Amino acid sequence: MNEVRALIVDDSSVMRKIVERSLRQAGLDQLVVHEAASGVEGLEVLKGKQVDLILSDINMPSMDGLEFLRQVQLQNLAPGVPVVMITTESSEEHVKQAIQAGARGYIRKPFTAEQVKERVLPLLNAA
Amino acid sequence: MTLNGIRTAAIATASPTEPQKRESKMTVSLRQSVKTVSDPHNLDASVEEVFHLMLGVECQRDKTVPLSDSEAVTAVVGFGGLLSGACVFRSSGTAAMKIAAHMTGMEFEEVDDTVKDGIGEICNMLAGAWKGKVPELSANCGLSVPAVITGRDYKLHVQAPEFQLHHVYRFEDSGFEVTIICDGLQ
Repeated sequence: MNEVRALIVDDSSVMRKIVERSLRQAGLDQLVVHEAASGVEGLEVLKGKQVDLILSDINMPSMDGLEFLRQVQLQNLAPGVPVVMITTESSEEHVKQAIQAGARGYIRKPFTAEQVKERVLPLLNAA
Repeated sequence: MTLNGIRTAAIATASPTEPQKRESKMTVSLRQSVKTVSDPHNLDASVEEVFHLMLGVECQRDKTVPLSDSEAVTAVVGFGGLLSGACVFRSSGTAAMKIAAHMTGMEFEEVDDTVKDGIGEICNMLAGAWKGKVPELSANCGLSVPAVITGRDYKLHVQAPEFQLHHVYRFEDSGFEVTIICDGLQ
């Protein structure tokens, strides 16, 4: 696969590294990663960088992942870019809210690299 | 150490964007499901799942495993909504560094910010996996962001919890404790 530019939004630096490692294990060798520790930081990154993929946690301080996603849509910061939520919240209500906010995929923590591959690669191939 | 601030944060995240829906859902009750919610197997399954998937290691309940050395690391994630309380993870500094090493592929010589961050995330996933075992909890119980405490000779006190689960697990040659404290159930 060609170069993929991914934005990973999570308040945990360890989790951002684990998500990055999972993406590389999924076969994204030419991966360029931008990191953000909150929704607010994520919006700032998107104002200056173009990305091909966004992966975001939900429970974060200052701006949670759902509000981040709504703001991305509202401000048209990443048109057509697939967003995948990666979160400990797994209820149907949370999935529904994420999909309504514009998410194209949902991965529950804890996860395997294989799950990341199954949910992310089809979105990139379709883009 | 108090859990009040963490609980408040969890209540705020129970359904952060749609308060009207949260109010209508409060008709759901867990009072009749205390036995299901407090089933100790749910905690064991959650711990095994998180350690297997995120660290690639197995762990088992083992009361004989040594827990403490000079420094302890404690992570707390609050529950709010239908159930109020907290998930508490506690290990020695040495065990915390081993866990963080498995998560990141890095080696650690001290309990630095990365180790604390990793232990906070482990506690967050344990709390999420545990509440996910009961559908009513999964949908109607929010989690706070993790708080991590390090130090020596401290104890966590909770007054008259509704129920409490406290399990000790062996991970390689180290141990850690996971405690679920429920101090309110609607």
